[in-house]
Amino acid sequence: MKVLGGLGIVGLVVLLVWLTWSCFPLGELPPWEEATAAWGSKNAVAAIVLGARLWDTLFEVLVYALAIAGVALAAGSLGTKAVLPPLPETPLLHLAVALLLGPIGVFGLYVAVSGHLGPGGGFPAGALVGSGLLLLALARGTRGLTPGWAGGAWETGKFAVTGAILLLGLGVLVLGARGEPVLVGLNVLIALEVALGAWVVLREFAHVRGEM
Amino acid sequence: MEAQGALALAIGLVGLGLWTVLVRRNLVWKLLGLNVAGGGAILFLVALAHREKAGPALEGVPGPHVDPLPQALVLTAIVIHFAVLALALVYVIFLSERRHTQDVRKLEETCPTRWPES
Repeated sequence: MKVLGGLGIVGLVVLLVWLTWSCFPLGELPPWEEATAAWGSKNAVAAIVLGARLWDTLFEVLVYALAIAGVALAAGSLGTKAVLPPLPETPLLHLAVALLLGPIGVFGLYVAVSGHLGPGGGFPAGALVGSGLLLLALARGTRGLTPGWAGGAWETGKFAVTGAILLLGLGVLVLGARGEPVLVGLNVLIALEVALGAWVVLREFAHVRGEM
Repeated sequence: MEAQGALALAIGLVGLGLWTVLVRRNLVWKLLGLNVAGGGAILFLVALAHREKAGPALEGVPGPHVDPLPQALVLTAIVIHFAVLALALVYVIFLSERRHTQDVRKLEETCPTRWPES
């Protein structure tokens, strides 16, 4: 069985290498500047994600929300274990959070808002803010954040944001609206959604560990 | 040449991840392998977007540009990857709470409704 599987993987790798190398040399890009500018963006990736391929992005947001809802549902049925020893707390982490959390939040907002003008966008911004929240939970412990920071309001907020993205995206698609405000609005909402989703996952895992 | 190097690394990562999924019997290791294979797939797409001496696909950047389409694809793939991995990890926790093992062979042997022998 192992030998067969190994042979299969080696065959797959050889096939991939062969197919990939037959792609070279890669062709020239078609002119994309005009098409990008038509969506009100300077960043071609933002024009694709929030413009030409907005349907894909909407369904991606839906898949993300469903996966996070699945995490919350399955973790909720697990119940809480006996309290595990908490993560060690050090003054270094406390100080780092006090220093870094503000800049991380501001930088995340900057990346989300300027995503159509330069490198950035809603997804990286959400990942930034989400890792900032992870840092906060590491330093203070999720127990220290209960209940104000860890209530079920986060999940409600997450689904509200998902609904807002779907509504705004569908509205944009139906009305055919374009331009900077649409891109900025979608980017900020997507950043919120990704950050809230990351926080819900973190909260559920801490809950299962018995830290809350 | 950088693109070929990154592509070779990406294909290697996919092979390594799939090998781990196949050989390891622990479910957490299988998920780690799947994660490595997914990282390889993401690197593969990003490397395919590369062009010689290319800058980012932004207006106002002179010279050749990278292909923006695979990058847009990867952007969503990374986030989905994270969410699906979290979901799979929760189910592994679920299984190890109920059945007290993460070994697929033991899980199969003690399965109350076994697959029919083939």
